[in-house]
Amino acid sequence: MIVVPCPNCGPRNSSDLRNAGEVVARPDPATTSLTEWRSYLYLRENPAGWVTETWYCRSGCRRYFTIERNTSTNEIRESESS
Amino acid sequence: MSRHGYKYSAGRLLRHGLTRDAWPRMWRRPERRDSYDVVIIGGGLHGLATAYYLAQNHGITNVAVVDKGYIGGGGSGRNTAIVRSNYLTPEGVAFYDRSLHLYNTMATDLNLNVMLSRRGHLTLAHTDSALRTMNWRAEVNKLLDIDSAVIGPAEVKRLTPSLDVSPDTRYPILGALYHPPGGIVRHDAVVWGYARAADHLGVHLLQETEVFDIICDGGDGPDGKGSGGRVTGVRTSYGDIGSPVVVNCTAGWASLISNMAGVPLAITTHPLQAAVTEPCKVFLPTVVVSGSLHVYVSQTDRGELVFGASVDPVGSYRVNGTLEFTEELAGHVLELMPGISKMRLMRQWSGLCDMTPDYSPIMGYTSVEGYLVDVGWGTYGFKAGPVAGETMAETIATGRAADLIAPFTIDRFTAGDLVGEKGAAAVGH
Amino acid sequence: MSSQRLPTRAGELIDRSTSLSFTWNGRSFSGHEGDTIASALAAAGVEVFSRGMKYHRRRGILTADHWDPNLSVQVGDEPNVRAGSRRLVDGMQVSAQNAWPSLRWDLGTANQLVGRFLSAGFYYKTFMRPQFLWHNLYQRILRKFAPGGRVHWKTGTHGDYDKRYAHPDVLVAGGGPAGMAAALSAAEAGASVMLVEQEPELGGHLRWGGPDDLTVLADLREALYSTPGIEVLCDSIVTGRYDHNWVAVMQRSHPVVPERLIKARVGSLVVAPGLVERPYVFAGNDIPGVMLAGAVRRLINLWAVKPGSRAVVLSANAEGDAAVADLESAGVAVIAVLDARAGEDIVQVRGRGRVASVQTGDGRTLKADLLVTATGWSAPTSLLNMAGDRPVYDKVAARYFPQSLPDNVLATGGIEGDGSTAELAAHGRETGALAAQRALRLRHERRTQTARSVRPESTPPASVPDNRIPLRRSPHPECYRSTTHGLVDYSEDISSKDLIQAAGEGFDSIELMKRYTTVTMGPGQGKLETVNAAAVLAEVRALDLADIGTTVWRPPFSPVSLGALAGRIFEPVRRSALQDWHEANGATNLLAGQWVRPDHYGDPMAEATNVRENVGLIDVTPLGKLDLRGPDVANLLNLVYVNRWQKLEVGRVRYGAMVTEDGVVSDDGVTGRLADDHYLMTTTSSGAGAVWEMLEDWLQTYRPDWEVHVTPVTGGLTSINVAGPRSRDLLERLVEDVDLSADAFPYFSVRTGTVSGVQDCIIWRIGFTGELSYEIHVPSGYSLHVWESLVSSGSDLGVAPFGIEAQRILRLEKGHYIVGQDTDGLSKAPTAGLGGLVKLDKADTIGLPELRAAFERTDLPVLVGLQPDDPTIVPEEACQIVAAGSNEILGRVTSSRMSPTLERSICLAQVDPSLASAGTSVTVKLVDGRRITATVQEHHAHVDPEGARQRV
Repeated sequence: MIVVPCPNCGPRNSSDLRNAGEVVARPDPATTSLTEWRSYLYLRENPAGWVTETWYCRSGCRRYFTIERNTSTNEIRESESS
Repeated sequence: MSRHGYKYSAGRLLRHGLTRDAWPRMWRRPERRDSYDVVIIGGGLHGLATAYYLAQNHGITNVAVVDKGYIGGGGSGRNTAIVRSNYLTPEGVAFYDRSLHLYNTMATDLNLNVMLSRRGHLTLAHTDSALRTMNWRAEVNKLLDIDSAVIGPAEVKRLTPSLDVSPDTRYPILGALYHPPGGIVRHDAVVWGYARAADHLGVHLLQETEVFDIICDGGDGPDGKGSGGRVTGVRTSYGDIGSPVVVNCTAGWASLISNMAGVPLAITTHPLQAAVTEPCKVFLPTVVVSGSLHVYVSQTDRGELVFGASVDPVGSYRVNGTLEFTEELAGHVLELMPGISKMRLMRQWSGLCDMTPDYSPIMGYTSVEGYLVDVGWGTYGFKAGPVAGETMAETIATGRAADLIAPFTIDRFTAGDLVGEKGAAAVGH
Repeated sequence: MSSQRLPTRAGELIDRSTSLSFTWNGRSFSGHEGDTIASALAAAGVEVFSRGMKYHRRRGILTADHWDPNLSVQVGDEPNVRAGSRRLVDGMQVSAQNAWPSLRWDLGTANQLVGRFLSAGFYYKTFMRPQFLWHNLYQRILRKFAPGGRVHWKTGTHGDYDKRYAHPDVLVAGGGPAGMAAALSAAEAGASVMLVEQEPELGGHLRWGGPDDLTVLADLREALYSTPGIEVLCDSIVTGRYDHNWVAVMQRSHPVVPERLIKARVGSLVVAPGLVERPYVFAGNDIPGVMLAGAVRRLINLWAVKPGSRAVVLSANAEGDAAVADLESAGVAVIAVLDARAGEDIVQVRGRGRVASVQTGDGRTLKADLLVTATGWSAPTSLLNMAGDRPVYDKVAARYFPQSLPDNVLATGGIEGDGSTAELAAHGRETGALAAQRALRLRHERRTQTARSVRPESTPPASVPDNRIPLRRSPHPECYRSTTHGLVDYSEDISSKDLIQAAGEGFDSIELMKRYTTVTMGPGQGKLETVNAAAVLAEVRALDLADIGTTVWRPPFSPVSLGALAGRIFEPVRRSALQDWHEANGATNLLAGQWVRPDHYGDPMAEATNVRENVGLIDVTPLGKLDLRGPDVANLLNLVYVNRWQKLEVGRVRYGAMVTEDGVVSDDGVTGRLADDHYLMTTTSSGAGAVWEMLEDWLQTYRPDWEVHVTPVTGGLTSINVAGPRSRDLLERLVEDVDLSADAFPYFSVRTGTVSGVQDCIIWRIGFTGELSYEIHVPSGYSLHVWESLVSSGSDLGVAPFGIEAQRILRLEKGHYIVGQDTDGLSKAPTAGLGGLVKLDKADTIGLPELRAAFERTDLPVLVGLQPDDPTIVPEEACQIVAAGSNEILGRVTSSRMSPTLERSICLAQVDPSLASAGTSVTVKLVDGRRITATVQEHHAHVDPEGARQRV
């Protein structure tokens, strides 16, 4: 049970939150190509190392926020964009 | 000597018992060559089976299987060893049925007892919608001649008396998909059987050899990698090995290895955990799966209960396990079998699973010539090992994708033609 | 059997004034408070406690503690109880596990006769053919030999356990001298401390030491119990250390529940488990009477049990020397002491059921009934492994030591090095202080991270470097195996010869060897066996032990009961405010996701007919309901639904369907505009939570500029659907301030009004059942009143409740599809027939590119209405639609019922587009194998496709 720091609620057990996966930029649906769209749908960096990801404070403040987590060690640090 | 080298038999066992003679090695520690016709990355079940069938069915023996650790140390040795073919889609059924067929004759084909135990596989339904899905699977299965049917709670109880089928539980057992040919097999023995047979046919098993890079030229990416290029070999911890064909048969690391060739994969890596109890006298005759409760269980011949669940919700490359996995697992197992609360969990472990968006593998040729993949096996790679090896070998030898793997091409994601196993495979053991 | 109980010993744990009676294999025995099961039996002269797994040789006491592989017994309905540590309780029924028909006459001993053929992995090399015999015969026989106790699965105790959360700054695993000292100094430094000891009393090896050790123990114990801030848990084991210092403790000392799982978020974990004594490998090392030095010291000093009468001791260390002294003080004749430090050795032990003679390295044969070995230690590094450490072997000290630990895990005591009691305690004190300092810094940091917590005023405690003086590593001879072969793994019956054979066959890495031979895979998980196994492999490969590595220790440190891991049953169900009424009025329930709800009230067909003819009431509270407010709600709806929403007027409702970004239909429902900036959205019951989270996601991460406030009101509003031609008549009697006439309140409108005196009810006119119907959303606290008023006011109108089953019949007659039943994980919008609804010219909507692509395809399956040509046959849901003459699958029946209105069977089905046009005849294969024909209909709706009934 890792500890995830919610910007509002502070460090919380990860069971209080939901991991919403890697942050991926969404192409503009009006102008995107299908190939680009499907890359957005299906392709992920999936690194063995630091990844910027979204968490949802499901049992707390209900905020979506991003952090950086190392997928090899589960270390967590603040994300630039949070 | 048989075609697999030193033949095992009851007679041999007797003779060795009497003479106390040493048994020969099951496989060599070969001298590494500078190049091979085919280099397979990953010495697990898939890699070894591919090598075996290349040699056995197609006569291609100048093959190296490269693994950074020891053979069978990844998912092949960490899974819960369940085999079955009662999938949801006709593509899935045909594929896994061929695999089950290969498992059926494996002990004699490979001259090693892999202890296939077709003890019957029950997928429990706790809701009417789950029951509907079971019916769907059963109907598809029957059309494809798979022994599979939906049975009621009384029959479930008859087959597996320790299950609580009373209607007043939180997750009542409304019925089950019963698949008599499903069962378990000794996973390590399968790995060793393929390793021993492949070695005898001339394949080199290069253990403790890590691949750092896949060497390419002509591609549209950096260092000649990527689309339009071709493979020339691999860079390993023991130097470069040349090969016109490199096959990615890894799990857990598949996307990282594939990036070495400039071929991105639709994969996220998640830990999958399992656990085993202390041994107790055998009381559980079948393999029991509950999708709603995210648990599957069987009892080994040594009396241990082996448990598995669905993948961890958070993607990572961690294999140290979590406490919450054991808590949820125990809670759910006891919902099904309240009477075993005093059994003790003895060991938990994890493996890495490469999950694809449609819970189906990615197999065959890629945009880089000579670079093939057999990856994205999620939680069901073990069942598919034999057929994956057979079809990958055919694909390599003939230069075109084998029919059975046609639905699993890497291009299906950009084409939007996903395979429909997701519903059935979420806890598809 | 004669009593082996000694006169009173200084540190004995037993209370001789008590007498506890128990049975062993059906015979009556007695012991004292403080006895373990094993010590009570040993005191009574019992020498054989179990049988080996494979060869069923007799087994006696080896280590006399928790890890003793020979002391697993059955106690009542509890299997695999550690008799070496489990304290005796009056009335226990204890029996041996691995013997049949009895421990004394065990038929399994026949395996000894064929033992030479049962070499490592023998089962892989035979039983290959005939293939079917493996499962049908050989495996069944093998399964009879499964070791371990018996599960009494008819007497379940699920739910009898409990859990607790704890947040100690410092958790100390191990209550020996170093651990106790660490706990003390950590508490003195201001940390909250939890000290966990696996034995029922503190002290570790001090307990069986001499008078000096007992004095130190008494002082430490006194200090611990008088220092505030320390919680001491004995008879409890730290079973696991997980990421971010999440630590599992299994407490067995709880007064009420048999076991309690404590989940602790620990600042600093101090690992002080001491050392585990290692057995010696030689021929006959499993004969009862071969014991480790620690075992005889514990038996003599803690339980006053005489372990034998004539002893030979092989000693490589001080523990062995102390055992000699203890044996002599207990009146055991020590006939020889062999000093392993001087190269002396033993070769073999002989005896049947008890040691009879010992053959020494110099060729002597000594008559003895006890052989004691003290050949070294294994470091129980499990918790350190779990923290990421890979301990390294030190050849000089002949054991493993920690290598590199994360900052929040520290080790002390024997696992760190050697020393006198005072030196161990001093290291413990320094470790405790350092642990406290790091934990207090973390506590400070966590508080500052928490917006709403009381902010610590002080500056964080300063970071202090690790200046502990390391414990020394005393030289110790490398004693692993004599010149003979013996058991390496007692629980698995694996000998050194088996391991050598395995290595010769190619299983020459420790992990492969483990898998092939099963060495270290038994209940002890390698505590006693791992190092000896690695040593054998090192010998075979002519490598240094340090280069062999060890298998990775996995959690738990000690096995944990499933009941304790599960804890209390916490699987709640949701009930609407009307559920009690339903149950009091004859409802048969159905579990639907989290909700329990009425399936029917006795006769679903009659309930459905009553809706078509009169008026019915259904509780649809599980419908997801989201209250949406703000100026940008229409923009949000336009984004998340496939259809258009900007022009929905106040007082109107509209149907909407959602897809995911890949174009797959994910949810649907009705949303109504209650006021300019106020909407109520409904979702499917199962999708309620996901849709809410999805809306928040889009609002927060994609369009944070939009002003929309989302509030889930699913449980806050009880939803009642009043359906049937007389529904308006019924409502007119109860609704005070809304004009219900067709002109004033047309189809697909919403009004807010007072129902039966309850204000602020939201009423909308929609028609899932295909009838004139109103859905009323009532504040839940008043909903029973409203429901009962509807029932009592409408008796002359024929009002009756209906359940889910009737609703399913009605909606199928009307051809309304259900997301997830009539669609599946690949169903895109065109399949569900949403062609008229989807607006592809919007600038943005979820899944828009995939929607565009989907509508260009001609190969997607199509949902159609279907009627079997034989109206009496209802094809089961999930029946496959096949080609007439083959097994080719062309579709499937997704919903089917007998229609009471049409008195014929009706279906919805997904079919191949080639079969989708009205009038096409298709073949349906029933579950029983029959093939029937059915005809594709023009509409999904079988009843009233024009919608005349709902628009009145």
